[in-house]
Amino acid sequence: MSSDVVVDIEGLTKRFGPRTVFEDISLQVQRSEVVAVIGPSGAGKSTFIRCINYLHPFDAGRIRVLDHELVGGGAPPSKATLRQIRMQVGMAFQTFNLFPHLTALGNVMLGPMETKRVPASDARDKAMALLTSVGLADRAEAYPRRLSGGEQQRVAICRALAMDPEVMLFDEPTSMLDPEMVGEVLGTIRGLAAQGMTLILVTHEMQFAKEVADTVVVMADGRVVEKGPARDVLEHPTSERSRTFLTRVLKPLETVEDGQEQGQHGGQESGPGATTALGGDHP
Amino acid sequence: MHVVALYWQAIVDGGGVDLELTAIAVAVSVVVGILAAVGRIYGGKLLGGAITVYVEIIRGLPPILQLFIIYFGLSQFQINLSSFSAGLLWLVLYGVGYAVEIFRAGIEAVSVGQREAADALGLTRVQALRKIILPQAWMVMLPSLMTFLVLQVKNTTLLYLVGIADIMYQARLGTSATEQPAIMYGMAAIAYLIINLTLSRIGSTLERRQALYR
Repeated sequence: MSSDVVVDIEGLTKRFGPRTVFEDISLQVQRSEVVAVIGPSGAGKSTFIRCINYLHPFDAGRIRVLDHELVGGGAPPSKATLRQIRMQVGMAFQTFNLFPHLTALGNVMLGPMETKRVPASDARDKAMALLTSVGLADRAEAYPRRLSGGEQQRVAICRALAMDPEVMLFDEPTSMLDPEMVGEVLGTIRGLAAQGMTLILVTHEMQFAKEVADTVVVMADGRVVEKGPARDVLEHPTSERSRTFLTRVLKPLETVEDGQEQGQHGGQESGPGATTALGGDHP
Repeated sequence: MHVVALYWQAIVDGGGVDLELTAIAVAVSVVVGILAAVGRIYGGKLLGGAITVYVEIIRGLPPILQLFIIYFGLSQFQINLSSFSAGLLWLVLYGVGYAVEIFRAGIEAVSVGQREAADALGLTRVQALRKIILPQAWMVMLPSLMTFLVLQVKNTTLLYLVGIADIMYQARLGTSATEQPAIMYGMAAIAYLIINLTLSRIGSTLERRQALYR
């Protein structure tokens, strides 16, 4: 196995009681690879990505993140293993989940100070640098309730990045956002990809997946129905199930009754928000 | 109205005793209450069950009966507590029973998303509790904690029954000496109102300050 594999998932299976959420999912993610997980609602995409940092336990299979391994079924992982994995895996949530009693800056400083005993002054410098890179230096002292959704999600991304993760997970990072704020968050994610961060994201933004992802994984009915280079999968899907899904998502006007799966914000991410991207195409 | 002038100092002294007992008892029950609430939520069946039984006993028995069991009941086993110790012990035991439930409700009111965010950062359970969960639970619990504080001040009125020289004790003493119950209990009422209205004011000020980032 190549040493450049950051996340190695084999035979992952998850059940809720009698219901199988997904079964036998395998995925290898190389360093700096961007993997987009797409598929219809209820396919288990979010549950899948949440297994990677063990927010959800799983019933069979194994997940290796660099040197640490989680095994499904049986005994839960040791606290040490869990901590090691979680410190190396950053996550941004659909609902942001910022800590409401801390300022934007406080949110970003907390992880390194608590888990790595980083001195406050160092943590502050790093947090400010991160917030500056996403265009939020002037919002550092604001509490989450004073921030827009797009701002909250960018702070949440900084909070995860402050831990210097080896891989970032995004669980539908833009689906709770007003359309005009989607662009700024996607711009930030695009910036991360450009810097070589390893990313796994669950998304409904097909255009974004096509532009930024190296690999697209289509999940449906608890299985991976297709996996391959982004452009191939999105433009020439081979599996019947992913073809059905993609037809519905990419041509929303022809299937208006399936409004929920549109997820089409198309070129919006090239709006003003894109200027807040981390480095990348930014002058 | 020289009776008022004569006995007001005694009432104030009694108020001092009430406040001292309440302050110690509430401080102890808050600390023990947090630990017990955490034990009840995360401690598994045995510990959680034991704490639940304790809470049910404290809530199910009349306060005076609890106090009498501690002061008179224990003396039959040669455990002779002083009035002050027995009174304080009861206030603490009673307070813990209520504080556990306040903290449990507060901790459980913090959303799952907050726990997940703390987990995702790699925080330990203790770190998450200290830095994420309890500060937010505090916001939820503040009104119940203030009610609890006022309740404990009012509970001290029972302590005259075991001979603690609190406000109630002084008022009764004054009544037998002067045969002016209206004035004596009126003064006691005013003393309690001063204490509890002050506490309520402090509570609303704290709540307003918390509201800034809610």
